Amino acid sequence: MAEEVETSLMVIVVDLHTRQRYLRQQPSQLVHVLDSIMTLANMHLMLKTKNKVAIVACNAARSDFIYCDSDAIQPQPIQGQSGNTVQKQSDGQYEVFAHLETMVKQNTRKFTLDEKSTFFDDRDGESLIAGALTLAMCYINRINREKPTGEKLNSRLLIVTGCAGGASQHMAYMNVFFTAQKQNIVLDVCSLDYELGLLQQGCDITGGLFLKIPQLQGLLQYLLWVFLPEPPIRKKLVLPPPARVDYRAACFCHRNLIDIGFVCSICLSIFCKFSPICTTCNTVFKPPTSLVPKKKKKPNKGVC
Amino acid sequence: MGGLHGVSTRRAAVTLAAGSGGRAFGIKCKCIVMADAGKASKQNQSKTFQCKNLHDYLKTLPASTLDRLYNHPTTCLAVYRELPEIGRHYVIRILFVEQPVPQAVVASWLSQENSKEHNEVTKVLKELQVWQEAPIPGGLPGWILNPIFKKNCRMALLGGGRANCIQSQLDADSKPRDIPFLDQYATERWECVLHYMVGSQQQEGISADAVRLLLHARLMKRDEEDGSPVITREGFQFLLMDTAQQVWHFILQYLDTVQEHNLDLVECLTFLFQLSFSTLGKDYSTQGMSEAMLKFLQHLREFGLVYQRKRKGGRFYPTRLALNIAAGQTSAPGDIERVGYIVVETNYRVYAYTDSNLQVALVALFCEMMYRFPNLAVGILTRDSVRQALRSGITAEQMINFLRLHAHPRMVANGPPVLPPTVVDQIKLWENERDRFNFSEGVLYSQFLSQQDFQVLRDHAQDQGVLIWQNERQRTMVVTKGGHDDVKRFWKRYNRGND
Repeated sequence: MAEEVETSLMVIVVDLHTRQRYLRQQPSQLVHVLDSIMTLANMHLMLKTKNKVAIVACNAARSDFIYCDSDAIQPQPIQGQSGNTVQKQSDGQYEVFAHLETMVKQNTRKFTLDEKSTFFDDRDGESLIAGALTLAMCYINRINREKPTGEKLNSRLLIVTGCAGGASQHMAYMNVFFTAQKQNIVLDVCSLDYELGLLQQGCDITGGLFLKIPQLQGLLQYLLWVFLPEPPIRKKLVLPPPARVDYRAACFCHRNLIDIGFVCSICLSIFCKFSPICTTCNTVFKPPTSLVPKKKKKPNKGVC
Repeated sequence: MGGLHGVSTRRAAVTLAAGSGGRAFGIKCKCIVMADAGKASKQNQSKTFQCKNLHDYLKTLPASTLDRLYNHPTTCLAVYRELPEIGRHYVIRILFVEQPVPQAVVASWLSQENSKEHNEVTKVLKELQVWQEAPIPGGLPGWILNPIFKKNCRMALLGGGRANCIQSQLDADSKPRDIPFLDQYATERWECVLHYMVGSQQQEGISADAVRLLLHARLMKRDEEDGSPVITREGFQFLLMDTAQQVWHFILQYLDTVQEHNLDLVECLTFLFQLSFSTLGKDYSTQGMSEAMLKFLQHLREFGLVYQRKRKGGRFYPTRLALNIAAGQTSAPGDIERVGYIVVETNYRVYAYTDSNLQVALVALFCEMMYRFPNLAVGILTRDSVRQALRSGITAEQMINFLRLHAHPRMVANGPPVLPPTVVDQIKLWENERDRFNFSEGVLYSQFLSQQDFQVLRDHAQDQGVLIWQNERQRTMVVTKGGHDDVKRFWKRYNRGND
């Protein structure tokens, strides 16, 4: 009985941006991806009684929970609010799992049909994954504070995305990564399409796994094999080895990955070309003409 | 005291076994039990009774019963959660695979240094009939999930199939019961049973069936004088377990007796698992349940596992006790929120902030009670009081667990460690004090005719590693029971060689 009561919380961040390649090619594949994610969530709940799960969706306009503890199964209808109560069970599925699926579907519909989402969709914006991650970490923090004394909470994040970029949110990402590292939150990334340098860095920093899946059809198996095992168990299992992480930073002016660049001495912003005023903190620099050889050269290491 | 205890055991054993000895070949040998000053022996602990977990229990069931059990998604879910963690991942990995997977492939999932764990996991999965050995086309041995298990596991996860036999009520209950009410009800019912066991004043509300069950479980026995049930040594240990364990132990005992009630074991187990996967605070319909199951439900109702307002009400609420069944011995999820009441100080004083006779009685099992106030009882842990408890079969671990489990929130907040380490250590030391004897069964060889004979036989026994004890001056030696045959044969050969 001396063993600690451990709760494992998994927060899944799902990218619902319409510009993802798989969605543009065949929008119906969203169902496949969502189904896989819901099954993963259910499997996680199935592993242990105390396990918890939350799902955050994000697109170019906003990020929001599509499943969290307030959506969890409620035994009796609360006055003036229906929907959280369990429907009559029509098949052999475990109530909690069935409930999760209904809630996720319902909330995803709400999320995508939301005015703000539809309004912004045409714009070329990036998916707000960093925002969703921040939301998820706040949630983890709250759950951590609310847990009864003497219990331990292992939390982790999983991003499922088919988007490419991320450079415009460089600062936000880095803040998230280092906060996660400090809070012992493991960040996993399942990329559906691209090798995402920035998120790879995040996985490396927090000790998580990055996997770009070769084909979308097998998404569920990849999720179950690689991302379902909890970090302590992963040590025992044979999993894909971590790829070499590209630690180059993206410059703040053109979002290019650079080896050598200019760094603002005040706020550590990175620029590929000299600029007299730092665009981030508005510090004024002298033009480098007077001291040509003493260019502010600095390897990008440790820059964030 | 410990010494006396050991010696008397030895003497008893010697007199008991003397008949089986013989004088077949010059020397005399007889079976004895050696008492040896040493570390605690395993035999000593066998008296403390073990609460089996779900896995151990299922192992005892025949394969056909298991297959019938796996016919229900909820059972699969319960069994699945009982598997070792690695095993759970194995099952998930091959859940959607239709053909057998080569055993070598499965072994490669775990890194080399954990191969021992892998072997254990495969054994467990096989014992529970979760997977079976099956050859793959190349002739290599492979594993395939039990088809029934696979089908129902998928069903629990993904849906499909037909509904559980317990269904949620369609129309809302006119007087719905909330979770605190159910918790209170369950605690009350369960404590009623416990109260009965310790024989405190509140004795109403326990049926003959329950008493029979307590007797069957050997938690109570009939008093020799007036035939009224009194608590046994096992009963005391039972009281010190946490509620989830108590319920599980009780249910196991109940399942042993289901045949007598004309109930079907598989049906009962399935129903229990369905209960344990239901939602707390929700009402379920008794519609579609068989006569036997309704009877079973009434039994569960008596122990507070389900709540029913009216016997024929057509609906019932599972309580937390029922939800914890499948969790078995593993740390209970959402055990009834009960505030701890015990404070232990480094000066061995135990303060129990309670007015319940039951709780005071439990503390008094291993404490010397000093004062009793309206809401507080004070006791002190002494060597005598702890040894008294140890003598009645309670282990140090059980006492410490009990104190830890019921520690006052203040103590928990100060922790870890929750309990003062000096007290914990001392209780353990007091237990070790009693375990100074190591009992090993053996055969005594004595009355050798010559010193040389003795030495030859002793050296042989020593070489074989079966010698327990020897005394050269008295020409006596003791060998283990297993080694007796070999030494005897050697002696015969040796004698023949000498003749």
